[in-house]
Amino acid sequence: MSASVSRPRRFSSQFLITALFTVYGSQFTVHSSQFTVSGSQFTVFKMATEVIKVKINSKEFEVPKGARLIDVCRDKAFDIPSFCYYSDLALQASCRMCLVRIEKMPKLQTSCTIICTDGMIVTTQSEEIEKAQRSMLEFLLANHPLDCPVCDRGGECELQELTFDWGGLEERFIEKKNYQPERYLSPMVANDPQRCILCKRCTRVCDEWMGEDAIEAGGRGANTVIGTYGGWLDCSQCGNCIEVCPTGTLLDGTYRHQARPWELAQTISTCSYCSDGCEMSLGSRAGELMRIVARDRYVNGHNGEFLCIKGRFGHPFVNHEDRLRTPLIRYKKGGKLIPATWDEAVRHVAEKLKAVTDVHGAEALGVVGSPRITNEANYALHKFATEVVGTNNYAATDAFSLKPFFDNLGAPLATHRDIRYAKTILLIGGEPEELQPLTAKQIRQAVRNGAAKLIVVNSVPIRLVEHAARFIHIRPGTESAAIWALGNSANEATAAQKMGIEASELSALRQTVSETEGDVIIMFGGELNAAAQVIVAQLANTFRADARRVLLHPLPIYNNSVGVHDMGMMNGAMSVAGMLDGAGSSIRALYVAGSFLPEHLRGREEALAKLDFLVVQELFETDTTAFADVVLPAASFAEVDGTFTNNDGLVQRVRQSIPPVNQAKPDWMITAALAAELGTDFGFEMSASAVFREIADRVPAYSGLRYPVLKDESNPVQARYNIVEPLDLSSALKELQQTVAALLDTGEKTDVTPKVGHELFKIGTLTDKVSQFHLLAAGNPRPDTVRVSPLYQITVDAKLQAEPAVAGD
Amino acid sequence: MFIGAIGCEPLQLARVHLENSRSLDVYRKHGGYEAIKKVLDSMSPDDVIGELKKSALRGRGGAGFPTGMKWSFVPKDSPKPKYVVCNADESEPGTFKDRYLMERDPHMLIEGMLIAAYALGAKTNYIYTRGEYRYLIDIMDVALAEARAAGLLGDKILGTDFGAEIYTHTGAGAYICGEETALLSSLEGMRGHPRMKPPFPAVSGLYSAPTVVNNVETLTAVPDIIKLGGAAYQKLGTEKSGGTKVWSVSGHVNRPGVYELPMGYDDMEKFIMEDCGGMRDGKQLKAVIPGGSSVYIMRADQIIGKDVRMDYEGIVAAGSSVGSGGFIVMDETVDVFESTKNLTEFYKHESCGWCTPCREGTDWLVKVFKRIAAGHGRPEDAQLMLDLCDNIEGKSFCPLGDAAAWPIQSAIKRFPEDFRKHLIREQ
Amino acid sequence: MSTQPIQIQPLSQPVDIGGEVASFSPEVEAEIDAHLAKYPVMRSAILPLMFIVQRERGYLDAPGVAYLAQRLRLRITDIWEVATFYSMIYTQPVGKYHIQICRTLSCKIMGEPGITDHVCNKLGIKPGETTPDGKFTVSLVECLGSCGTAPMFQIGFDYHENLTTEKVDQIFDSLK
Ligand SMILES: Cc1cc2nc3c(=O)[nH]c(=O)nc-3n(C[C@H](O)[C@H](O)[C@H](O)COP(=O)(O)O)c2cc1C
Ligand code: SF4
Ligand code: FES
Repeated sequence: MSASVSRPRRFSSQFLITALFTVYGSQFTVHSSQFTVSGSQFTVFKMATEVIKVKINSKEFEVPKGARLIDVCRDKAFDIPSFCYYSDLALQASCRMCLVRIEKMPKLQTSCTIICTDGMIVTTQSEEIEKAQRSMLEFLLANHPLDCPVCDRGGECELQELTFDWGGLEERFIEKKNYQPERYLSPMVANDPQRCILCKRCTRVCDEWMGEDAIEAGGRGANTVIGTYGGWLDCSQCGNCIEVCPTGTLLDGTYRHQARPWELAQTISTCSYCSDGCEMSLGSRAGELMRIVARDRYVNGHNGEFLCIKGRFGHPFVNHEDRLRTPLIRYKKGGKLIPATWDEAVRHVAEKLKAVTDVHGAEALGVVGSPRITNEANYALHKFATEVVGTNNYAATDAFSLKPFFDNLGAPLATHRDIRYAKTILLIGGEPEELQPLTAKQIRQAVRNGAAKLIVVNSVPIRLVEHAARFIHIRPGTESAAIWALGNSANEATAAQKMGIEASELSALRQTVSETEGDVIIMFGGELNAAAQVIVAQLANTFRADARRVLLHPLPIYNNSVGVHDMGMMNGAMSVAGMLDGAGSSIRALYVAGSFLPEHLRGREEALAKLDFLVVQELFETDTTAFADVVLPAASFAEVDGTFTNNDGLVQRVRQSIPPVNQAKPDWMITAALAAELGTDFGFEMSASAVFREIADRVPAYSGLRYPVLKDESNPVQARYNIVEPLDLSSALKELQQTVAALLDTGEKTDVTPKVGHELFKIGTLTDKVSQFHLLAAGNPRPDTVRVSPLYQITVDAKLQAEPAVAGD
Repeated sequence: MFIGAIGCEPLQLARVHLENSRSLDVYRKHGGYEAIKKVLDSMSPDDVIGELKKSALRGRGGAGFPTGMKWSFVPKDSPKPKYVVCNADESEPGTFKDRYLMERDPHMLIEGMLIAAYALGAKTNYIYTRGEYRYLIDIMDVALAEARAAGLLGDKILGTDFGAEIYTHTGAGAYICGEETALLSSLEGMRGHPRMKPPFPAVSGLYSAPTVVNNVETLTAVPDIIKLGGAAYQKLGTEKSGGTKVWSVSGHVNRPGVYELPMGYDDMEKFIMEDCGGMRDGKQLKAVIPGGSSVYIMRADQIIGKDVRMDYEGIVAAGSSVGSGGFIVMDETVDVFESTKNLTEFYKHESCGWCTPCREGTDWLVKVFKRIAAGHGRPEDAQLMLDLCDNIEGKSFCPLGDAAAWPIQSAIKRFPEDFRKHLIREQ
Repeated sequence: MSTQPIQIQPLSQPVDIGGEVASFSPEVEAEIDAHLAKYPVMRSAILPLMFIVQRERGYLDAPGVAYLAQRLRLRITDIWEVATFYSMIYTQPVGKYHIQICRTLSCKIMGEPGITDHVCNKLGIKPGETTPDGKFTVSLVECLGSCGTAPMFQIGFDYHENLTTEKVDQIFDSLK
């Protein structure tokens, strides 16, 4: 009988050792060096990795200095059980499972707290250790209910697994167990306090990852419980506490008693919400997407086990009953959409498009891609516009374009790992904690665990300001002035006046950046105009030094904002707004994948009605399909194979988890079918990998990539963006000067920190399909009793669904 | 209740019987604040630490760590502020000496803390008093105000460049906050959970700055060490444990109280049977817990006729330890099963809940005790309890887990008949 | 990786908690300020401030908790986690006279059970309960540092030692 367990458990620890070796040289170089941006553009630093010797179970190993014993043991395949240890969270050492014997130390030691020293002699398996570890498990099980069949975590519970692996446990606890009733902590989080083993991973991720500290331990001794004041969880509802919980204490309240983990097919894919591109595992059963998790037993992406509320809970749209069932044709303007077959619909669209271009010329047709669909889909659209139709009027429905930035890129993009280990982070505009939650988490950890300096330039005291070494509180709309001053220090005084700050704050910022040893990461949100983007893209040249690498991190809004740019959809002659403005005159017909954003349609409500012909590929009926002549049911991210490119430039796989719902088809297939009907064979042969092969051949940043190269999510591959030679910025600066000169220096600064969730809980086309989001958007009311799901108790007024929460309200 | 010294001149208890002993005037009249004057006039911080090392003073909070050595661990070159924190959380069952030291002679503590602050370069210092001792906090606040008014606190103490401040702080009912790292967590406004060691408080303590935590009695010994000189102080006791020690005595003796004895006092039997007035109502001595609840319980026959010397080594040799010096004397009427149950309930109530063995183990043990007390004992329960204790001991995060195990282990081994009675029911 | 617990910074601005926030007289506010002045970190004053709120409002009620969170720039969970750790902080109302009888070993062997029975019989409640008029609460507590003068109880913050049933009666008479 041995205490060793063969089941692989925490990948993350091994990861950390790799990270220790290669903090600066991105770890991706290790496996697929040809795809990284490294090389002549910047110096690659290696941390001094002094090697020491330790002896574990009579075998000698060389390990990097500073490595943690538990990580080393696991890395060398000596399994050590643990519950409270979690890489990169504050040490806890409370579960006492990881006991080992170290020579010359009096008692058994917790390997999670020991840093290896040279010559250390360690035993991880012996009778004494096994007795100790088994007794800890026995203690944990004493008050833990043993009714695993009713527990949602059964089958993927770490406590259950360890007990099962060890076997032969005699139950000596014959007393009455302490009882606590089950309850809901929020519409998302169900809680069975009795099952808690107080590893406090939940409280630590809530605090250290999310910066919210919404869930904590209360009470003392055997009465300690995880919970909140008043028993109701008011937070961003990320559900990370659920994810990291090793037992069935915190559970996905939206998936309670719906499926057993072993019934679910797990598919590794990429999130379809924001540009951070979290890797996730889609759990599906019989064509239905049941849940989304990031548990490290299923998926091991750059986000670890992190997901935000949208990634984790925002998936019910996939199998929603409102999904379009068939293609729909509106034969007469003002008439009804009538179901049709795919053949009919494709033929109809081809005829109509041909009619428009025959009469008005190719340029009268606009093609609109989307930052929410795959690279493959956008590539097909681009190809359709340029090669089939021959129009220059194509664009994508993104909140802003990163074209000026990428065209003038002066430094590599930062990966999220780079952010975690950065020394200085400059955040200009944006609100990552609501729009790019993973980036926000990495920033927080960089500051709190890595002592990085965060400098925030924003007109709003966003929540990250709490961690900032310096907060430059500027007037709204003056972000460009900050860039203008960073581009040339001579501009500081004027810029400061426009921003309503002291000029010294800008010089202090400059100083902090120039004193940094290690990585500087410059992040920016959508507030920057084209000229400012050019300067940001080139800022690296100003600040780069031998001791310092400067990396850039744009903060676009959507999951494939970067990919849609890479696919060339931002190179068109017109913007989306321009097309809508030209509707009925220069633009006669539009072919739209997805829908227009509310901000595009605002003030242009009439535009779509003026078109001769509008064809839309969508999941649902929307404000855009209301005007469509043909609506084609598209497949969601869970139903397609493809790739997204995130804000790190990582090209990430999207994998099909369930067959297309109803009659939906992947977007690129629809486009290919239209092309074929119009006489062009794309040659994709129904295979997404063929589309991607063509992308890789045509898009230089993706050259050489193939799906097999992208298959390991733990070794992500970064696109190779062209890094331009240092540019003369005078014209961009001059252009920006005009923008700055036009700024009013009277704008009011807001002093109110925006509420948690003001962007996250906004109801959109997809989140509209999740009833819990309505409760959250309506202020997360506390139900009458927390014993029953709030969904059964609270019905939200339909009016609330239309009005999203507003910043600061 | 008796308060006084036996077998030596009173040092710690020198002023307790004076009228108005709390006041600055009385303290000064009887040699008060002369030590700090001597220190400021003629001694460097290293001299002070040197005297402490010579004195062989060992911490009186329970662990008995040499105080001079502890002070010398504080890094001199740290740019961070340093702190001296007085541990007045006294919650160990059977211990109440700190209470009387503070109640009767608060200025002695202030002077001791000032000397420590000088030796360590601390400017801000705290007295962490358990919340139940509210009246002591009030006494200390009055004494501190007096001292402040007299120029003994604040900037330029006694006209020198040395400045220091002392503040009182209140606990709120948690025994674990007596453990030095838990105390620091609590003082920072957190839950009173112990912290990982290393780093030790001397390197990274309060607000992550170098901090020395000392028991009240440890600090009140300091002025006398300075006045007498370290070597002379040590001679009052034994080579390894210098000076005098204040013991709290409770239970079935005729004269419970606070006793100052020289370290190495001979012997424990005489102490109980004569100095403390002997057993009440002429009953037989059955058991003694000599060091607050967190030590091994002793049988009468380990004491009577055994010439147990009352210092760290002597009591260990006799099968227990000095701990916090809280004597609980029990006569033949006591059922050791009951008394052990009582203490286990104490540890369960006070376990902070951080670590598995202590949290779950004490809960389990209490359930077993209760079941046995309710008449459902099984012969195998003794072995079960010993095994549970073995699983807690040495595996818990802080010593509270060990402390919970020791009374049970020793009670089952030393008083098996009291347990057998409950476990095996004669039909 | 951090080995120390991460220091919690005060929030940059107080969180709007919603609901009522307690307010106190200028004298009490001055007292609170005096406590805050003792520490380099505001959070350190949490226990002294809790005692003040408790003194003023009977126990740590919701407005009191909200006040502390705002005053100390902490999240409401920070107040909750600390309040529930310490046995002297009450998150439920207690009687005007809180009789805390020491139940630990020295008191126990010196006659605590008799005292407890006597007190409970007098008041007609069990340990842990409050009289219906909200005047008395009886609790059994752990060692209060009066072992040499056992048995004993504390009423509020006042020590009553060397108790006998007669002495208990006298004490109760003086309370009425
Ligand atoms: C569970 C536990 C409780 C403790 N309680 C106290 C206490 O109430 N008073 C005290 O002075 N030391 C107490 N200690 C000892 C302290 O941790 C620490 O050793 C002491 O304050 C150091 O001071 P000293 O060197 O002057 O003894 C306790 C230790 C433990 C493990
Ligand atoms: S709820 Fe789960 S994750 Fe949180 S402390 Fe309890 S067992 Fe651990
Ligand atoms: S309370 Fe210290 S080990 Fe549990």
